[in-house]
Amino acid sequence: MSELVLDRLRKEYGSFVAVDDVSLHVREGELVALLGPSGCGKTTTLRMIAGFIEPTAGRITIGGRDVTWDPPYRRDTGMVFQSYALFPHMTVAQNVAFGLEMRKVPRAEAETRVRRALDLVRLGHLADRLPRQLSGGQQQRVALARALVVNPGVFLLDEPLSNLDAKLRLEVRVEIRELQKRLGLTTVFVTHDQEEALTLADRLVVLDHGVVQQVGTPEELYEAPANLFVAGFIGRSNVLRGRVVERGRFVTEAGLALAVPTDGFEPGAAALALRPERITVIPGAAGNGVSGRVALVTYLGAATEYRVTLDGGESLTASMATPRPGDPLKRVGAGDVVTLTWPAETCRLLAPDRGAPTDEGGS
Amino acid sequence: MARAAALAAARSGRRAGAFSLGPALAVPAALLVAAFLAAPLAVLFRYSLNRYSPREFMIDAVTAENYIRFFTDAYFIGVLATTVQVAAVCTAVSLLFAFPLAYLLARTDSRWKSALVIAVVFPLMVGNVVRAAGWMAVLGNDGIVNHALLGLGLVTQPVRLMYTPFAVHVGIIAVVLPYMILTLQSVIEGIGRDVEEAASNLGAGPITVFRRVLLPLSLPGVIAGSTLVFILCMNAYATPVLLGGPQFKMMAPALYDQFVRTTNWPFGAALAFILMVSTLVLTVIGTTVLSRRMHHRRLEAAPR
Repeated sequence: MSELVLDRLRKEYGSFVAVDDVSLHVREGELVALLGPSGCGKTTTLRMIAGFIEPTAGRITIGGRDVTWDPPYRRDTGMVFQSYALFPHMTVAQNVAFGLEMRKVPRAEAETRVRRALDLVRLGHLADRLPRQLSGGQQQRVALARALVVNPGVFLLDEPLSNLDAKLRLEVRVEIRELQKRLGLTTVFVTHDQEEALTLADRLVVLDHGVVQQVGTPEELYEAPANLFVAGFIGRSNVLRGRVVERGRFVTEAGLALAVPTDGFEPGAAALALRPERITVIPGAAGNGVSGRVALVTYLGAATEYRVTLDGGESLTASMATPRPGDPLKRVGAGDVVTLTWPAETCRLLAPDRGAPTDEGGS
Repeated sequence: MARAAALAAARSGRRAGAFSLGPALAVPAALLVAAFLAAPLAVLFRYSLNRYSPREFMIDAVTAENYIRFFTDAYFIGVLATTVQVAAVCTAVSLLFAFPLAYLLARTDSRWKSALVIAVVFPLMVGNVVRAAGWMAVLGNDGIVNHALLGLGLVTQPVRLMYTPFAVHVGIIAVVLPYMILTLQSVIEGIGRDVEEAASNLGAGPITVFRRVLLPLSLPGVIAGSTLVFILCMNAYATPVLLGGPQFKMMAPALYDQFVRTTNWPFGAALAFILMVSTLVLTVIGTTVLSRRMHHRRLEAAPR
C-alpha cells in the first residue's frame, strides 16, 4: 500500500477545463471519496490516476514515485470499473489470475492467491463460471477480487455500486468498506451519491466544475460546509440570503433579523445555511422564535418534514422526529401557525457568491 | 364469463398467430432462393454430368468424365491451385491491413468518423472493372509507379507490374478490403473499451492487451470477415482477367471461357461445381479451425 498525491492536477479539453488544479493527499490505508454532480470532473480525475487520461498539467505520485507520464500498465493501481469490465472470454478464475499472470507470479502461488481472493469475496465456488453466467452482484465481486489480488498500491473504484439494485448496493457497500479496512487499502472512490460517500469514506473531496470545493471528514463537511455548494450537496440546507448588519446580527432579504455567529464576517452580503433537522417546530405562536404558517407536512416514517412559510414570505424546511400520538405537534397541518426555533450556533454563515447545486441530469 | 372466455380466446389466438407468423416471414426469401439459386444450380449440376460434343453441343448422359478430366489435367489443377493460393494470400493480407484500420474506426471519437466510414465504403460504389482499369493506369509500363521509379532514377527500364500475379493480388485486396474492415469494425465496436482498459490496468502492455483480450474477443469478426472475403476472392473474375492478363488463370475466368469461348457447357458446369465445392470445403475447414482455437483457448486456460 502506498500514499497517493495529486499535485495541481489539471485537464483541459480545448477551452473546457474538466479538472481545475486538483491537489489531494490520500494517506496510506485511507479511503477518500470523490463526490460531485455529473460532469464535475471526478471520473476524469480517477482516470488520470489510473493513467487512461493524460493530464494537461500537474503531478501524480504513488508511494513517492512520479507516475504522471507512466502508461496504465506500469502504475500499480487496481481499478474496479463502473461496468465491471470483466473479460467475457475468461472464467472467473482466469479473470482474477490475469493480473498475477502479467506480474509473472509463479503458477502455484498464483492459484493460491486467486483462490484466496475469490474466497474473500465469497465466490470460491464459482471459479469456473464465465462472467455472463453470474448475477450483477457476483460480477461486481469478481471485479473487486481481480483488482485486489495483485495488491495494488492504490485501489480505484469508479461508481462501483451504481449498477446494483438498492438492497445489494447496501450489502456491497459494507463489504467494500470491510475489505478496504482489513487490507489497509489506499483507496479512491468516485460517486455522485452523497450518502454512499458519507458512509464509506474517511474523507470526502467535493468537486464542482472541476474545482475542489472542500476536503474533509464526513462530519466536517456536514457540520461546517465551506460554501453554499457543499452545504446543499452534503445533506440538505435551508438557505436564507441577506446581509450581516453588525456583529452577531443577520437580516434576511425579507427583513427578518436573526442572531447568528458572525465570526470572520464583516458587515455586508452573506448567506445563512441551516440544516432542517436543527430546527424545532412549536405549534402555535410562541414568544421567541420565528413564526410562520405550515405550507406542507410530509410524513417520512421516522421523521416528518414541515415546510413553513415565514411571515416575511421566505420558506424554511424543518425536520422533526415524527410526533407520537397525543403530541400537540401531531395535529399541526397545512395552514396552521407555528413557531420555529434553533440554537444560534447551528446557523452557518457563508459567502453569498455561489448558488446551491442545481439538479443537472446525466452521469 | 363469456367475455372473459372471448378475451382468453382472443389472447391465445393472438399468441398462436404470432407463432405461425415466424416461419411465414421466411417464405418470400425461401421462394426467391429456390427459384433463383437452387433451381439453376440443379440444372447446372445436371449439365456437368452430360457429355460434350463439338457438333451437337451437349449430349444427355450421366458420366463423371468432366470431373475426371479436371482432376487429371495438370493445367486445371494448376488453375485451382492458383485460385486457392490467391484467395488465401489476399484474405490473410486484407485481414492484416484491415484490423488496425477497423480498430481505429471502431475506437475513434473524432467527428470525422462518419467521413472515414464513407471513405472506406466508397470503393464499393465503383465497379470492379472501373477499379481494375484504374490499376492499369497505375501499374502499366506507362503508369504512375513506373513514371515515378524512372523519374527518381531508381530503374532505367520500366518494371513489369501489369499482367503479373502481383497486380492481381493488389487488385483483389483493394476490392475486398472494405468488406473486411466493415465486418471487423462492427465486431470491435461491440467490445467495450473498458475491457481493454481493465487489462491495461492489470499490467498488460499494448501487445498483450491485443493478444489476450482484443484478438480473442474479435475472433467472431475475424472469422466472418475472412469467410466473406475468401469467398469473394475465390470467385474473383474481372480483376484477374484485367490485371492478370491471358497467362494468369483463375477459376472464374476459366469457367467463363468454357461456357462462352469453347461452348463446352458440361465441362464449364463441372468447373463451376468444383469451384463452389472447394470454396465451401475450404471455408468450413477454415472457420472450424479458427472457432475451435477460440474454444480451445478458453478451455486450456481453465485451471481445472
